[in-house]
Amino acid sequence: MFLTNRKQAIFVLLLLVALLVSACGGGGAGRSGDDGASESPDTTKSGKQEKVTLRVINWKDYGSDDTELVGQFEELYNVKIEHQYMASEEELLTQLRIAKEGTIDLVLPNASILPAAIEEGLLQEIDVTQLSNYDSIYAPFKSLKENVKDGKVYAVPWVWGSTAIAYNPDKIQEPIRSIHALWDEKYKGRIAFRDDFNDAIMTAAIALGQDPNAPSDLDAILNKLLEQKPLNRTYWKTGDEFSKLYAGDMVDIGLMWSGQTATMKQEGLSIRYVIPDEGAIGWVDNWAIPKGSKNSELAHKFIDFLISKEFQEAWVNKGGPAPVNKNVSTSLDPAFVEEMGLNEAAIEKLYFISYHTPDEKEQWNEIWQKVKAQ
Amino acid sequence: MNRRIWLMSPAVFLLLSFCVVPLLIMVYYSFMSDGAGGRFTLQHYANFFQKDFYLRLTWKTIRLSLAVTAISLLIAFPMAYVMARIIQKGRNLLLLAILIPFWTSQLVRAYSWQNLLRDGGLLELALRKLHLIGEGSLGLLFTPYAVVIALVHIFFPYMVITIYMSLEKVDLSLIEASKSLRAGPFTTFRRIVLPLCKPGILAGCILVFVPCLGVFVEPRILGGTDGTVIGMVIEDLFFEIYGWNFGAAISFLLLSMILVVLAAFSRLSREEA
Repeated sequence: MFLTNRKQAIFVLLLLVALLVSACGGGGAGRSGDDGASESPDTTKSGKQEKVTLRVINWKDYGSDDTELVGQFEELYNVKIEHQYMASEEELLTQLRIAKEGTIDLVLPNASILPAAIEEGLLQEIDVTQLSNYDSIYAPFKSLKENVKDGKVYAVPWVWGSTAIAYNPDKIQEPIRSIHALWDEKYKGRIAFRDDFNDAIMTAAIALGQDPNAPSDLDAILNKLLEQKPLNRTYWKTGDEFSKLYAGDMVDIGLMWSGQTATMKQEGLSIRYVIPDEGAIGWVDNWAIPKGSKNSELAHKFIDFLISKEFQEAWVNKGGPAPVNKNVSTSLDPAFVEEMGLNEAAIEKLYFISYHTPDEKEQWNEIWQKVKAQ
Repeated sequence: MNRRIWLMSPAVFLLLSFCVVPLLIMVYYSFMSDGAGGRFTLQHYANFFQKDFYLRLTWKTIRLSLAVTAISLLIAFPMAYVMARIIQKGRNLLLLAILIPFWTSQLVRAYSWQNLLRDGGLLELALRKLHLIGEGSLGLLFTPYAVVIALVHIFFPYMVITIYMSLEKVDLSLIEASKSLRAGPFTTFRRIVLPLCKPGILAGCILVFVPCLGVFVEPRILGGTDGTVIGMVIEDLFFEIYGWNFGAAISFLLLSMILVVLAAFSRLSREEA
């Protein structure tokens, strides 16, 4: 009935084969078990020795899953680093809440979920005496209020960055200095703002001169964001969306992360980053160990490795975000340091994202939904 | 009852445990206040109706889904008709052509549309070569039109299949009888064929309209700043701020609207029988 002759049969067969091959080739967005650490190193010496698996939840392509960078740690301690990827901090919090104890060894929370995670007893205390590189961290980071509770440290800062303006210096000749560039009619239709309620509210607050962590006039912020909306080409949510827009010459200027801008520079794109005079959003990513992890000591060693000068320097040179280890910036190109804001002076201009209660978050989210729905 | 009805039990079990029960759980949570100590509350539903933009957004999404359904019907019906009544030999090949897109992920197809519709993309270049548009940008990407195009592309195969199936069932002898009573082809179509394939059309419309109402990937990738739909609000509530209860409430409201529409459709189809 269906395959009535050989020609049809061969045709369908070829089609199926073509589809199978193309399906094997790429992957879509989403989770992947052990993307970075899938090649097992040549440890034929240890032979039958059981390899410990360290389970990490992190963003995709974010340092800890880079085989080149963490390969030496894996070999040194005979450990396999296995990754699960998160798409948002809230998702990580959910994971911590529902995961069985002992199934995850390391996670990367930031200030927005740390207090909740610590309060709910999801994280175990970090023994900083096990971290030889802890003292090399910039002082302001060691006293972030979200990382500490009752004098106990629950999270170790790892990398930090800012969310400010990235633009195309070939298309925009005069250097950008103010955050109001995102509201400039000159760039109408070539701006890409971020579709994220936190970034949106905080950026608008900075533009209005309010404290981004405690905005005083949310109605003014709503109107400011509505003002900005028609000037955009579109909103972007995940980093690769912005990359596609920028590389495809669809936008010239946008709200962007320092880390990804550095990576895009590395890949050869002509892009410039600037922390506006009015200030910008700052964020810190921290490592934490979930309660019940069976590899606590190994996790501590991995954290120590990740905050070491060697790792942080290697990663920054590969295009990673700003290191917390103060010994690194001495070995970097001063122009690069200046532009990306990798020095104390720039850290001063940043408003680091602090914790907000669920009610506050809901309120902010609703304002942003209102802007988008208009 | 025939004992063989128990053959249905695996399917029924799956449907009950993985569709019905989760839905009921969702409904339960939509009536609970946020946080650990949940109490019964109508606050989430009140919130939805108090903030006027949620209703406006839902209405916008309904309009989008209606547009997609209507365009899909306009494209799918002629194709199904040709496949069922006119072509004899290439039928299966055409069916295969309709089914092939299902083997590609929806996300990949959305990104492909982004590539096709962008400035300097294939569509713009082709239209410019054919002198159908001038030098300016095509202006399709990052507008609701791009979303409609992509959604039609994704959903019209469902319509083709359901209409084709019901058209195929039309008894040829009825057509002959109508011809013998000296009815012209158009009258035959209008009074015999169309009423008989109404169930197929209605089923196709449901298969397109309902998923469109909940779509959130394509509007985000292709819709630009004006492309927000209610599905994106629900997505943000679940992934961005852990407002699951409110998200559940909006979802349940959407579900109720769909059930009302389905009830109306089923009344329509029963009247025709």
